[in-house]
Amino acid sequence: MANVLIKNWQLSFVAIVLLLSVALIGIYGIKLGMDFSGGTLYQVELQKPVSAEEITRISNIISQRIDPSGLKDATVYPVGTQFIIVQLSETDPVELEKVESRIRQQGRFESTLDGNVVFTGDEIKKVQRSDNSYGVFKAGTSAYKWSLPFVLNEKAAKNFMESTFHKCTATGTSPNGLPSYTCEKTTFFLDRPNALIVTTTAQQESDSLLLSEGNTFENIPQDTQIETLILDSMLTVLFIDENTALDKVVASAVLLKTKNAIVSPDVSESVKNDLNALGFTVTVSQQRKDIPWIWTTLGARQIISLTEGITNEDVAEGDMSRAKIFSTLNITGQRETLDEARSDLEELTILLESGSLPTPVKTISKETISPSLGDSFLSNVLLMAILAGIIVSAIIVIRYRTLKLAIPIIITGLSEIIIMMGFLALIQRPLDLAAFAGLIAAIGTGVDSEIVIVDEILGKSKTAHESLIQRAKAALFIIATSAFTVIGIMGPIVLFARNLPGLDKLYGFAIVAIVGALIGIIITRPAFTKIVEMIVHGKEREEHKD
Amino acid sequence: MQDFYKNDFKRMMIIPTIIMLILILYVFVLPFVLPSIFPGIKPGVDLTGGNVLIFRSDKPITEAQLVSALEEFNLPELKPSIIASPTGYGAWVQYGKDPKVTTIENILSKADSSLETSESDSIAFSNQVLTELGKPTQPFDNPKTALLAAQQALADYKEEFSGKLQAALTQKLGLGQDVEFQKREISATLGSASFSSSIFISILGAVMIIIIVFIAFRQLIPSAAIIQAMLFDVLAGLAGMAFLQIPLSLTTLPALLMLIGYSVDTDIMLTSRMLKGKDGTPGERATNSMKTGLTMTGTTLGALIAMIVVSYFYQIEVIYQISVILFFGLIGDMISTWFMNAPILLWWVEKKEKQHKKF
Repeated sequence: MANVLIKNWQLSFVAIVLLLSVALIGIYGIKLGMDFSGGTLYQVELQKPVSAEEITRISNIISQRIDPSGLKDATVYPVGTQFIIVQLSETDPVELEKVESRIRQQGRFESTLDGNVVFTGDEIKKVQRSDNSYGVFKAGTSAYKWSLPFVLNEKAAKNFMESTFHKCTATGTSPNGLPSYTCEKTTFFLDRPNALIVTTTAQQESDSLLLSEGNTFENIPQDTQIETLILDSMLTVLFIDENTALDKVVASAVLLKTKNAIVSPDVSESVKNDLNALGFTVTVSQQRKDIPWIWTTLGARQIISLTEGITNEDVAEGDMSRAKIFSTLNITGQRETLDEARSDLEELTILLESGSLPTPVKTISKETISPSLGDSFLSNVLLMAILAGIIVSAIIVIRYRTLKLAIPIIITGLSEIIIMMGFLALIQRPLDLAAFAGLIAAIGTGVDSEIVIVDEILGKSKTAHESLIQRAKAALFIIATSAFTVIGIMGPIVLFARNLPGLDKLYGFAIVAIVGALIGIIITRPAFTKIVEMIVHGKEREEHKD
Repeated sequence: MQDFYKNDFKRMMIIPTIIMLILILYVFVLPFVLPSIFPGIKPGVDLTGGNVLIFRSDKPITEAQLVSALEEFNLPELKPSIIASPTGYGAWVQYGKDPKVTTIENILSKADSSLETSESDSIAFSNQVLTELGKPTQPFDNPKTALLAAQQALADYKEEFSGKLQAALTQKLGLGQDVEFQKREISATLGSASFSSSIFISILGAVMIIIIVFIAFRQLIPSAAIIQAMLFDVLAGLAGMAFLQIPLSLTTLPALLMLIGYSVDTDIMLTSRMLKGKDGTPGERATNSMKTGLTMTGTTLGALIAMIVVSYFYQIEVIYQISVILFFGLIGDMISTWFMNAPILLWWVEKKEKQHKKF
């Protein structure tokens, strides 16, 4: 057997690809699609068509809004210029209503300082994307500076001046003789909850540590103080441990403003019961690995330092009336690589713009599939495959009166399924009904082609004077043409799936069918031809002996 | 080797011609003349827009029961259907858009279009929506906030409505509390956009196939013969859809595309052997091809039967629909390939050989 494999590259090639596919499936795993595992598909239609760039932005904003922590495993992408697809594994109607209203509604962006709102998303007139100062600029040999100018409305600009007035302190003199300053920092929130926050002192300690370490990925600067963050959140946060019970007086005071309470996962049941008894609706906010619980729970997104250029340090302390009001503000940052700078800029832009979807949503189409469908699905499919395999083998055995040909056909079919699954794992596409239909199409065409190969080689061997190679060539022409027709019909679907509404549902089908056709002509059919040649050779030799 | 085509093969072509005419009448003409007897093919919800509720039940349900359970809601264009299989009953409740929702959506779009022209008008329209939905109006100062409140109110209304619908079905049909509903709610604009995408992609796919076939064989008549067989097969698949009332949708479109792929397989094999083969008479080559072709189609049909049975038994609707369409189409393929395509090629090859002898 090993000898045969080495001598025939076609067979060893299949063996290698098979091993690779099994490895890919092992590494990435096969995810079941929404059709089987349940979930919800939203197709969001915008009021009017927008540019490609714009729709990508809107799609990013929606993604930020509905799944800021990435815990919901949401997939959001635009189709064409007017539709955005949102896919979630969520099926709970209550949760779905929240998601839907988040898609429709604006995000609530707030910038706060010392427990006061400096400006909100509504007050941002626009981010000046087309301005010359917007973008990433090279600053020195290994530094890239980015800059994000945006315009506040009149009222907010005045408020900004008042709340930032003299928030920098001169701390010394820089080498070039100018005074240097340390300035206060504003915190940016998106969808800051309106709730009482209750957590444990243990959580507080670990959060404090994480905050002071900072986290570049989450935009948490080093030495961030938990107290400042809580002050900026303008929310009541209660810490408890075994010795300190819930402060019912403080909690009751919060009850006047909101009935919601958010607790950390380690808060005990008795505390939750106390909260319920007071009249709170308690929700548990989960902690993401290595990210401060309080940061996520409060909806904090960025901490941005003020600069002396905008805090009117040159105006005398008590003379606010002479202070300059800036309606255009500019946030800048610096990174070592171009990509990092770009992603920082993009992330912050989305945050500032999330206050408003640039184009309103017209309608939301929705499909919910309950998870129970998937339970029996796999066993049903297996049953289908086994039954189909038996029937197909029976027909082959009856037609050729030998088992020798049915076995390679079944093995080839199985190999093709494994390789296609490996491909799905590689491109991280779930196996949904569409992809499953694609598999059926590919296997069906595969068996058709194999019958052609067998008949070309076997059928003619008695009469024709052609060599085995010539006969195989005739078979190759037929199967290649048939594979190209598959690519011809499915190609347009793959090309336009992201541009024409509706077609994204056919994408899985088309891509699997195409890849199946290619796997067939490149990988498995050459090997199958080789096997059939070997079988026929053996037969012809036997006949010569007679 | 027996020659299936040794008798007057030209006369064979009468059969597919007649069948094709009947199929065209059945699929495209009669539904317009006698829509009550010949329903034709209906586009599915994902191509027209509308609402669908799907649920399963262990207890038997009838369409009449569904209709009476939903009577109080006055659902427009209500189309209930029941799929019974040995493992249980599946109910499929399709209904059109609530006229109230249409009215409100019209006001909403007015509120939206006047956002930039007149803020007070826009707020007034949004408040009108709130009134229509029985919600208190508010003195909004931001038209965008007003519009969002109105949109949210409509979304709440729809959600509440579908909740009531599900509760009524659960209670009146005694489905039990753990019944799970699948919901589909497709807007009319998305439906029509998907519809035009489907048409576009089908035409483009057909053009691509024609180009590939012509490049492969480079001769008019043989290529045209392959194309006619392809059209015949799709027509047979469509007839199957009309017969079993399977709608044209984004799940059945792939079936029709697959059908094209399967159908050209046999035709390409036949044409290649007829034009390039050297052994035997043309009639023998055609007969040999038929042997191969029937094995190809036979294995596919066999696999399809397995799929139809299992998917019917366990109510896997999508796979059931796809395999039924393929089944009909491949039956058509046997007729179009061996009674039409093969005779055309034989005729053409013999004519060419005769011409050859004259020189």
